[in-house]
Amino acid sequence: MTRSFRARNEVAIVGYAHSKIERRSDRTLGAITVDTTRAAIADAGLSVDQIDGFVGSALFPTAGDHLIIDGVSTVSPNWLARSLGVNPRYAAGFSGMGQIPGSVALAVNAIAGGAADHVVLHRALHNPKGRYHGSSRASFGGEQQWTAPQGYFGPLAMIALPTTEYLERYGATREGLAAIAVEARKNGSRIPWSFWHDRPLAAETYLDAEPMFDPICQYDCDIPVDGVATFVFTSAERARDLPHRPVHVSGYATGAPTRSRMPLHWPLDDIMDGGRETARRLWAAVGVGSDEVDLPQLYDGFSPFIWFWLESLGFCEPGEAHRFIADGGIDSDRPDGLPVLSGGGALGNGRMHGIPQMLESYLQLAGRAGDRQRDANVALACHASPHLGGAVVYTNDPG
Amino acid sequence: MNARPIPVPNDTTAPFWAAAGDHVLTLARCSNCSALTLPPEPVCGHCGSTDREITFEPVDGAGVIRSWTVVRQSFLPGFDDDVPFVLVDVELDAAEDVRLIGRFLDGIDAPLALGLAVDLAWEDLNDDVALPAFRLRP
Repeated sequence: MTRSFRARNEVAIVGYAHSKIERRSDRTLGAITVDTTRAAIADAGLSVDQIDGFVGSALFPTAGDHLIIDGVSTVSPNWLARSLGVNPRYAAGFSGMGQIPGSVALAVNAIAGGAADHVVLHRALHNPKGRYHGSSRASFGGEQQWTAPQGYFGPLAMIALPTTEYLERYGATREGLAAIAVEARKNGSRIPWSFWHDRPLAAETYLDAEPMFDPICQYDCDIPVDGVATFVFTSAERARDLPHRPVHVSGYATGAPTRSRMPLHWPLDDIMDGGRETARRLWAAVGVGSDEVDLPQLYDGFSPFIWFWLESLGFCEPGEAHRFIADGGIDSDRPDGLPVLSGGGALGNGRMHGIPQMLESYLQLAGRAGDRQRDANVALACHASPHLGGAVVYTNDPG
Repeated sequence: MNARPIPVPNDTTAPFWAAAGDHVLTLARCSNCSALTLPPEPVCGHCGSTDREITFEPVDGAGVIRSWTVVRQSFLPGFDDDVPFVLVDVELDAAEDVRLIGRFLDGIDAPLALGLAVDLAWEDLNDDVALPAFRLRP
């Protein structure tokens, strides 16, 4: 039994800031995060001393041997609060999958429950020197004892298995994956802060690339970057007195592990069964269905996630997403297209971990998308896999 | 010349790797509900028992291919001479919904399809350590 979300539309995003997305910044991640967060608080018409809540996820999503150093390779909510000189009433990190929807849930619940009045949500992503997922380990204990010795290691192997299943079951092809990457990069090329600004991808370039873990090639993967985004949340009541049009959180849902598997083993049926449950919870929480969403921003850290989310959320029947896309179904330049990658996604911006989906939802619903402005009232922002990640529904028309 | 990484057993998993070294595949049986699993979990995923004995029991390694990938670039040491190679996701006939990921030893040109039957084979990493792997059933 899933109930509707009691705090529906009671909390809103009231400001944001986003750093440049660079392959490697010459500045420390913590310094970029403090600058970006100060800019976001000012954008919301607030001052730093009014911020009494900090949330986010400090996950550094690498399989490699890189050091995890708070303020350098990752930034936790507590580190950010201390560096801004704030002793917040509420600080919390989300440690599950779907880090952005999970962090939004922390912000919304803290404000709706009265634990904080003005909450900052940030995400800081770092690209370390050396090979992002490279490891030189001579042995593996723990859960990886079951997989790494065989050479099953890292997220490309993880996504390759369900993608092969999808191709074989439904007759999809690498051309179908290319169409997703090309759409993301087309939209990303129009975004000034994107790593891929002015650099769209040709389908021929994609198809000429040799896969790394068949059928996954480099263009199916978002590129590791240095980049930071911060959003400011407050109550709908307080939001009325602030400068920008509030964008309300209608509700959210996250997935949950269903059964024990080898590490990084995501069979297609696990993804889709879990994804349909995530979607069922989401629609019950927010009280709308997929046909009422103007702007579904689907997660694309790997391109096949677009198929999995389109089908999990009910925008396509199982096995039909690749045909829907081939027919122009997600072309955001077509009036009848479903603009699932209009914000460029992760493939079109860089590895910003669900931020591009949240940012596009915010900018479009706040009327702040500039040349890219669309007519939209209800947006949906996904992150990670449908079975373990999550999604948030936003509206600028809370009724 | 880097060697491939080896598995490090713990107190629970040592019997599995000892049997594997002798080319015997075992699965973890829960003493409370008798379910077979791999990997073994601190709490039984079938009956919820927290107070149980786990015994590793020999099983036949036959199964069917549920998915695969061709690894052309490894992120780990020791695979440079092995790439490209195939990893297969195999559902064992011996236990419902138990799936192993192992090397497919018939090469990258062997015809693969979902549902093809495979038999267990072994990869020897050194004199003591062997990993479950698979070949197409003849």
